[in-house]
Amino acid sequence: MRRKRQFVAVLMLAAATAIALVMAASGTAGGRHSATSGPSGVGTGGAVVGSGGGFGETYSAPKGTLTHALFQANLLPPGKTARNISLAAYGRSTKTANYALALKCWKNNGCSTGTHGKLTVAYVEGFGENTFRQMSKMEFILQALTYPQIGKIIYRSAHSDLNQAIADFKSMIAQHVSAIVTYPDFGDAMIPVFQQATKAGIPVSTYAWGYVSGPGSNYTTVVGEDTCKLGKAFANVMNTKVGSGNIAFMGGFPGNPLSAGWQKCEQAALNSSINVVANDPTNWDPSKVQGIVAGILAKYPDLKGLSYEDALFMSQGGYAAYQAANIPYDGVFTYRTDEAGMGCLADKLKDPKLQIYYYTAGNAQIRVALTADMMKLAGAKIPPTIVFPIQLQQQTKRDMCLKGYPGTASGTSLIPLSLLHQMYP
Amino acid sequence: MVAASRSSPPPFGRFAGASGRRLITNAVLAARFLPVWLAAGTLLVVAAFAAPDALGSTSWSFVLPTATVLALAALGQMLVVMQGGIDLSTPGVISFGGNLIAGVGAGSDHKLPVAILAALGVGVLVGLVNGILVGVLRLNPLIVTLAVGQIVLAWSSKYSRDVVTNQPNVPAGLASWARERQLGVSNVFWTGLAITVVLALVIRYTVLGRRFQAVGANPRAAWMTGLHVRTHVVLAYTAAGTLYAVAAVLLAGVSISIDPAFGSAYLLAPIAAVVIAGASLAGGLASATSTWLAALALTLLTQMLVIMGLSAAMQYVVFGAAIIAGMVVSGDRVAAVLNRGLQLVTPPP
Repeated sequence: MRRKRQFVAVLMLAAATAIALVMAASGTAGGRHSATSGPSGVGTGGAVVGSGGGFGETYSAPKGTLTHALFQANLLPPGKTARNISLAAYGRSTKTANYALALKCWKNNGCSTGTHGKLTVAYVEGFGENTFRQMSKMEFILQALTYPQIGKIIYRSAHSDLNQAIADFKSMIAQHVSAIVTYPDFGDAMIPVFQQATKAGIPVSTYAWGYVSGPGSNYTTVVGEDTCKLGKAFANVMNTKVGSGNIAFMGGFPGNPLSAGWQKCEQAALNSSINVVANDPTNWDPSKVQGIVAGILAKYPDLKGLSYEDALFMSQGGYAAYQAANIPYDGVFTYRTDEAGMGCLADKLKDPKLQIYYYTAGNAQIRVALTADMMKLAGAKIPPTIVFPIQLQQQTKRDMCLKGYPGTASGTSLIPLSLLHQMYP
Repeated sequence: MVAASRSSPPPFGRFAGASGRRLITNAVLAARFLPVWLAAGTLLVVAAFAAPDALGSTSWSFVLPTATVLALAALGQMLVVMQGGIDLSTPGVISFGGNLIAGVGAGSDHKLPVAILAALGVGVLVGLVNGILVGVLRLNPLIVTLAVGQIVLAWSSKYSRDVVTNQPNVPAGLASWARERQLGVSNVFWTGLAITVVLALVIRYTVLGRRFQAVGANPRAAWMTGLHVRTHVVLAYTAAGTLYAVAAVLLAGVSISIDPAFGSAYLLAPIAAVVIAGASLAGGLASATSTWLAALALTLLTQMLVIMGLSAAMQYVVFGAAIIAGMVVSGDRVAAVLNRGLQLVTPPP
């Protein structure tokens, strides 16, 4: 009996210590930032690109905003309507947004905007558990807050569960939301609910080239870059900088449209002297990235290059794999995203053999998708695709490591830096 | 002492002498844990032919530390399974532990000891909660540990978003320690191996360990002999939580940085390792060394499939088939078949 009491006492003491440690460690980090309002985007001063308007929009945007989001102000979609929609979307970055409300909406996965507007807009996605998706979510919220007619904002993530993703979509339809923006992680499996929403008069748009069959009929539009041209741009880099040897591809979820798009075209455009020795899906999970890179390096320690969407994950899991294998982290890497963390790692390593070429992560494309939906509600005819041209940047010429940006954040995001610091203190 | 399994007691019939009983006991025990060693050996032979690069030094530099992390998680699961329970809070503890290493550590080696203590604290706390809910309140472990795990995961996600996203890197001291090698092998491996050996010795050769086995093998009989069954169940879950936290610390060192999905791969893999190693989900005997070997085999298999260049779909198919095959020939089933076979050749009393 005495030993039992002693044992219980030890366990209670252990528990109390554990609770104290955890509470000390889990104390809110970062100060409480004073809430302010400000422009809903970045680069809002200076010269303006575009003119005219319609369907409730002005077809012009500050040159600074376009340069920040697209690298150059002229990298807009070629078609007139697509270009106008893009200008309208990026032009809203000059409108004021309440950062405190945006932050509250972001943390609570939705909110009332306080404008008593009649419209409800939803951002629904299959997977939202990484920084890219969370930043896109904030871009969506900031864009929605520039529309006084939007009274409510809803966000849903299905946590990689297809059934949940379909249920979330159906729930939005049942709630008669006015517009839906989505990233279709499950591809064509979402067609039935896309059709259902479209039939119910709810415009549905995707971004980051979340291509699902039947844009323009099954759903309103897909916004993104031409993934085939992205793949060809990657191939051009490999052909000129690698020349010959082994390279590898990595992608996201198996069969997702983004990865499939660029990989197919890069493979076709590579020199015959370059061998693609591996093509593995990573589910955009950094811990999986480490295992896959380790496997590739085990068989091909002389790997000369690698093409993948996510720069950040390669700076985390990929870099860890190289370090564990004692293989120098150099070669030619082509990425679709531009997180600051990869740039800062490259700056730290200072290795001239490490050559990085990247494109914009495109978080701000979600603004274009929402504006396309809003213009559709206003009666506009929206093109089935809104496609941005490709221009890769070179790390040594345009550093991804932007001052003040969290390592996990993309430097081409239009989220104001002060708000970004409140999101990630 | 022979810890009788919850299935039929071993037959002694015609082998009624002491040496005969010892022979039967050793045969049954060997039958329980031998298959995983044979399976691991077979895997090595297959790797040598189908994916020789999987046995190269570059591959081992990833496989050994990763297998060690899985092994520690599996050892924690093993302790729970020995008591007839199951623990689905593993991903939550590992996730929160890893996030605390990055968040509390804040990139500073000075803060690393506090960060490690915080991670261990989470493991102890969660284990204790699970133990009380299962051992004292007698709630269903499958449901309760899943629920607790979800709560922990929710806190971990919030902490990750509020604190870690801005500073996801673990302190450099931990990362460089994890990378260092002794005798050409990672420090992470040696640490895991030491813990495994200590656990194996405690279970096999100490009074505490033997009582732990006895309670798991037959709680009613153990209670009748005066052993505190509930206390041992609470101890099992608490020790398991601690081991998950240790796994989190080592995984943080291996991964260098913490991502939102940190720990998510450790829900079913530890359970698979425990079952393939020969433990019975009904409780009773288990082997720490066999569990460690099963974890190594699963990790090596995963690496082999990547190196062989199989498509993602085929990797899932092969991995699933291997798990099923491992469970079909698992030690628990072999021991049960051997028991039945020996009963058939034993004349009735």
